Amino acid sequence: MSTDFNQPQRQSIVGILVLFFYSLQEYAKALWPILIIWIVKFNEINRGYLFGGILAVFTIIGIISYLKYLNFTFYIDQDNDEFIITEGVFNKTKTTIQLFKIQQVNINQSFIQRLIGVYELVVDTAGSNKTEGSIKAISHGLALDLKARLLDNENKKAIDVADVIDSHEFIDEKSIDSEIPFIKISFFSLLKFGITSNYVKSFLVLLAFFISLFDHIKQITGKDVLHDQNIEDYVDNSQIATAFLILFILFFLTVIIVNLVRTIFTFFDYKIARQKGSLLLSYGLLNTKSTIIKPEKVQITSVTQNFFQKKMDILHLKIKQATGGEREDHKQHIEIPGCNKLEKNEILKLLFKKIPEKGVMLKPNFRKLGFSVFLTIGLPLLGFYFIRDLIIEQLPMTDYFVSLYVVFVGIIQFFIFKNNRLFINNDFIILQSGAWDVTNKIILPNKIQAITTSQLFWHKNINIGSLTLHTAGGNISFHLGNFTAIKQYVNLWLFEMETSDSNWM
Amino acid sequence: MENFINETIDTTQLPKYEEVEFSVLHPDYWKVILVSLTIFFLIVGMGGGILLLFNEELTPFIFEFSIVYLVLLVIVIFFSRLSFKKKGFAFRNHDVLFRHGIIATNTLVIPYNRVQHVSLHEGLISRIFGLAKIEIFTAGGSSSDIMIPGIKKEQAENIKQLLMGKIQKQL
Repeated sequence: MSTDFNQPQRQSIVGILVLFFYSLQEYAKALWPILIIWIVKFNEINRGYLFGGILAVFTIIGIISYLKYLNFTFYIDQDNDEFIITEGVFNKTKTTIQLFKIQQVNINQSFIQRLIGVYELVVDTAGSNKTEGSIKAISHGLALDLKARLLDNENKKAIDVADVIDSHEFIDEKSIDSEIPFIKISFFSLLKFGITSNYVKSFLVLLAFFISLFDHIKQITGKDVLHDQNIEDYVDNSQIATAFLILFILFFLTVIIVNLVRTIFTFFDYKIARQKGSLLLSYGLLNTKSTIIKPEKVQITSVTQNFFQKKMDILHLKIKQATGGEREDHKQHIEIPGCNKLEKNEILKLLFKKIPEKGVMLKPNFRKLGFSVFLTIGLPLLGFYFIRDLIIEQLPMTDYFVSLYVVFVGIIQFFIFKNNRLFINNDFIILQSGAWDVTNKIILPNKIQAITTSQLFWHKNINIGSLTLHTAGGNISFHLGNFTAIKQYVNLWLFEMETSDSNWM
Repeated sequence: MENFINETIDTTQLPKYEEVEFSVLHPDYWKVILVSLTIFFLIVGMGGGILLLFNEELTPFIFEFSIVYLVLLVIVIFFSRLSFKKKGFAFRNHDVLFRHGIIATNTLVIPYNRVQHVSLHEGLISRIFGLAKIEIFTAGGSSSDIMIPGIKKEQAENIKQLLMGKIQKQL
């Protein structure tokens, strides 16, 4: 099936529905306070007005969606080798993408799109001015066809220019049968990953959720749930400790369950395939996502594992790519959760052509531990010393909490210090850090953009200093190491960077 | 493969970035700093003065406020001088170095083949003194960009040309 893309085309007709839902979502986001008032005062408002209003809103959004649909066209201009998208009802926008600039074409499907049975096609370009085109509703066959055409044109161009890296890969999980996923993350691995990771993140999310929930309840009912006298009546004073414990366990369980659900929703059916040296990833339960990793674009690769995960042989990979362009802060993070050691090695081999080894080890000076202890324990204690008299009357248990805090933070700081290492060999620089979740950040010396060394003037005599390596995917810092060694490696890296014209992206 | 040699690099024989002689900023740049500080402190002083005059509760403390103001002025000038003295730059064959920092001495090195673009910036006060600022950008984000202020306009143009030439050659 070949469609003529040289004439301006509209999206799939069912695409109106997608546009409708997207517009609805947008308006709902913008108008949610009004919606909440409506819901709360549901009984007080005249039903007729309410339904009339809702109907009017739906009709208006429907008309807007239809107009959007009518005004959205795309076509390929063969003469100039450009892909052109025009959109907008009142404000017309014309996006022109030169075909040779197209880096990749993604076909995605969100939940709404899956319900309706259409796909989204996103065109990614390189270059400083990041123009991105996206078509919200397109049938699968048409999407594949268009993708082939968009990338086909680039092929012609690429042949003319020698030494161009093959940067036009197809990525779709269903269409191309030749890609057999070589790694599939099983449901069981995701389960294991879900219950052993991201405690802090989920905890904070949950905390924020509860605080906003209480806030809403307070606003609506006028009652402060947290300071309600009733709660204190429920529990006997002697049982407060047990109640606290139960509450704590309940909270912890919720954190784990939320974590688990989140992990499974985002990463369900994780598949990794290989194509022309690139990695193709696809995952997601409701929103299926597919991405591509090109080894030459990878800047920082992090491997994270904590104690439990080590016992279960699962780990977490995070890959940061450069997006290209001159001063773009936007970085692409790609996560691969719950793969085991073999799979990790397999992926790393694809990215680096060999498994990174840890070389010469640099340790931070003990002053680093001293300084972080001073910052996280010393200063708060000093502050506490001044306000202790005020608090102690209200909460007699404060002293216990404070000593608990000191022990807890002390242990964390000790492990952070103990795990902080920089490994250097000829091909890899590996920074190890973290207290509970131990992360190994791997970079290649030729991905370095710039190097900063830093030394406090009172550290001159004891010869310690800090090192920061700047890459297009973020910075890597190692503090208070042996400065002579650091300087020597900086000279070596500079020499290597300046004598080779290696491609860093 | 006959031409391929892979000898061990003697890291002690490599050129040492830490032994590079740094050029200091143009002396006129200190005047630029002083002028901008004067303007800033005049505005703050005038604002504070008006507040003290019209707020009767604060009027008795006029002496204390003046002391704080003066101490702040001295401290800021002292640290600006220190920062000015510590700033330095150097252009080697293959990279550019910039040194800065008051308490810590930071040295930032960018190889020419990692430079994305170079720009020349002239501030209002700098222009009066004929000075310009060179900005060197990499793909490593804002923390890895070099901004060298206080360079004579002609010299800055020359440096920019030099860098452009280097970048072109690398490509």
